[in-house]
Amino acid sequence: MSLASTASAKDQPSLLARLFARQELALLVCLVLVLAFFSATVENFFSVRNMTNVLGQASLALTAGIGCALVFISGEVDISIGSLLATIALPLIIIMNDTNSLALGVGGALLFGLIIGMVNGYLVAYAGINSLIVTLGTMFIMRGGVYLYTGQRAISDDASLDSFIALSDGRLFNIIPYSAVIAIVLLVAFGYMMQHWPFGRQIYAVGGNQEVARLAGYDVRRVKFICFIISALLATVAGIILAARVGSAQHTAGLNFEFQVVAATVLGGVSLAGGIGSLTGMALGVLILQFLSNGLRGLGLPTEWQLVITGMIIIAAVAFDEAKHRRANGG
Amino acid sequence: MSVDFLHPGEGAPIDTDVSALEMRGIGKRFPGVVALDNVDFTLEPGKIHALMGENGAGKSTLIKIMAGVYGKDAGTIRMRGREVDIKSPRDSLKEGIKVVFQEIALISEFTVAENIFLEGYPTGRTGSIDWKKIRADSAALFNRIGFNVDPAARTGSLPVSQQQMVEIARALAHEARVVVMDEPTSSLTPNEVSLLFTVIRRLAALGIAVVYVSHKLDEVFEIADTVTVLRDGRHISTRPIGEHTNDTLIQDMIGRRIDNLFPRQRGAAGSKVALSVENLSTAKKLIDVSFEARAGEVLGFFGLMGAGRTELAKAIVGYDPIASGTVTVDGQRLAPHDTRTGVRLGIGLLTEDRKSEGLMGELPVYQNASLASLGAFARLGFVDKAKEHQAVQDYVDRFRIKTPSLFQQIKNLSGGNQQKVLISRWLMRGLKVIVVDEPTRGIDVGAKSEIFALIDRLAGEGLAVVMMTSEMPELLGLADRIAVMCEGRLTALMPREEATQEKILNAAIG
Repeated sequence: MSLASTASAKDQPSLLARLFARQELALLVCLVLVLAFFSATVENFFSVRNMTNVLGQASLALTAGIGCALVFISGEVDISIGSLLATIALPLIIIMNDTNSLALGVGGALLFGLIIGMVNGYLVAYAGINSLIVTLGTMFIMRGGVYLYTGQRAISDDASLDSFIALSDGRLFNIIPYSAVIAIVLLVAFGYMMQHWPFGRQIYAVGGNQEVARLAGYDVRRVKFICFIISALLATVAGIILAARVGSAQHTAGLNFEFQVVAATVLGGVSLAGGIGSLTGMALGVLILQFLSNGLRGLGLPTEWQLVITGMIIIAAVAFDEAKHRRANGG
Repeated sequence: MSVDFLHPGEGAPIDTDVSALEMRGIGKRFPGVVALDNVDFTLEPGKIHALMGENGAGKSTLIKIMAGVYGKDAGTIRMRGREVDIKSPRDSLKEGIKVVFQEIALISEFTVAENIFLEGYPTGRTGSIDWKKIRADSAALFNRIGFNVDPAARTGSLPVSQQQMVEIARALAHEARVVVMDEPTSSLTPNEVSLLFTVIRRLAALGIAVVYVSHKLDEVFEIADTVTVLRDGRHISTRPIGEHTNDTLIQDMIGRRIDNLFPRQRGAAGSKVALSVENLSTAKKLIDVSFEARAGEVLGFFGLMGAGRTELAKAIVGYDPIASGTVTVDGQRLAPHDTRTGVRLGIGLLTEDRKSEGLMGELPVYQNASLASLGAFARLGFVDKAKEHQAVQDYVDRFRIKTPSLFQQIKNLSGGNQQKVLISRWLMRGLKVIVVDEPTRGIDVGAKSEIFALIDRLAGEGLAVVMMTSEMPELLGLADRIAVMCEGRLTALMPREEATQEKILNAAIG
């Protein structure tokens, strides 16, 4: 070895291996395969209308998935987002019904989401309670609270503001649903943050190795706290879109939503152990599952089977990932 | 950021008249132990200062105080004449101190360049990270130290030697005035060591004060300008390397006389071979280790940090895989990497890491004790609780284990009593060979002699005891024969009567 030897010059893996090492590329290939399969087998699957519809449906999970991925990357989990969807619809609809103002309604919902995020974040980061337990707890508390408050009856949107309804059926250039536009804008913004802002890299560092991050002088607790706030706020945005879609605050809104998001995030290669994964991967995970569900329905398969297949895919994907890592680490 | 070292001559000149770092009267105590007592340590810019001492001498504590990992209980720290207050790793970095720990502190999923600027990424006007500058600066930093690592490489994929270079570059990026290298060569090849030395000399030439923590004499003689020796938490000597010989350094490191603290009760060892290890090698550490342990003897293994004692312990009980060689217990060959047959043949490990490998802290004393012998208490597939409790109670009485009841959670017991419960676990199983790894780690001085008495008794009852230790008094007080390891090899094996501290330490240093 000479003084000027370069680290990566030797032991270069083959091109194929390197391509597959890029998680996102493998996922993209999967997505294309899913699209190709159903285009061939399901009539009208590969139409602008169906594609944009699915994109609209996926926008909730895409939006909330950003927060879910951030929390995962920081080394924690947040499963309270499904209940949050139902909870924030209450201030949203009630304020809009009272004031006829979308801005005030959305403001109220975001404030509520902020508080929930701070509670989750405080309990995990500063009180040191396990994040699975904390968010499991707040998930139950919020769901129970919504049941109690509504008496299990929907509170309908009586204001019927045009701007609010547009969130559900409006389309940019009459093609792309506004909800998808919102999701894409947020994805790009947060994707940029994760790669190009110091804070984004701090999240990776904290999840990658908490002790190293602490030695490097990071405020590990603050980073985690903020991730929970972002997660709650993005789930709030998803909840607002959902409320617009159903035109009311429903006590069952967002039931099991957290697990769909977690499933897609994990499928997208974001590690539960923290430090690994990208928003692109998460988004591809969401799209694969959404198109799969849409296509299977097109084939006439009942929802029950979709659940079974989704479950198998997730385990297979993570097992594949594990095997790959074990090979990469040579052990 | 990093202007100084990227563009030499533009930064403030380094004043060689003022000490880079001056630690005075440093004290640090942990519960039950004084780790540092009134230690002075002064570093000059551009000089390489070796910090030496046996395991437990206080080297690690001292550098952790510099790094802001521990706070000090007493004393003052001055950087270039100015008193500083180091309360956290951040403070330490800000004062220009960079400690490269043996356990490398890099994020393995990050690229090399990302790790170099981990403490603070340079940003552009928009607040976005300036990746171009990071890559260029990283390359320039590697240029300065004369070693190139690809800034875009994933850090975790690099060998330790290159990860060290990343840490050194990281030190330069933060304009460190003091760089501490903690046992840097413990996992390097000879080639890599000479590269590292070249880089360390360059650091010194840049005016940086380098601390070289090591127990390897030859390396210290090769690289250091000055040597400070610590022993039992005290400062023993600071001298230019030229005033030292091998013997004077070893003398400073050992110093003490060893009294016979542990009166031996047992008789002479038998002649029956209970454990036979032949040509044992593992992928990571051990190289061709062969020895025998006889029933009724204590065979002590000594070695400095990283010598491979724990690896040997884990390999011979079947806990870790082995690459080649054989382990025979009581005449029967042990299948490698299989603790089940190990336990069945009668070899068990008393781990050095009680908390994570020994105890089930939340469970009661009796369950911890009976863990390895549940089969013996089974009737029709159910555990006969009465029988189990009786057996455990016998051991509690025999070993005078202090616990309010069998149902006490074991985490509430003292370290010494926990250790006794773990020894019971193995004796209950009817062992022929027990491997004890640092049996008195984390145990109060008072309780230590009880553990020694227990080990003496085990051998007296006919077990072969293989004891891994880094503590000289333990070794000389208990062992019938003494084996010494260095870098994965067995470098000496002698009867206790022939052993001296000098002989042992010489073999341990290799």
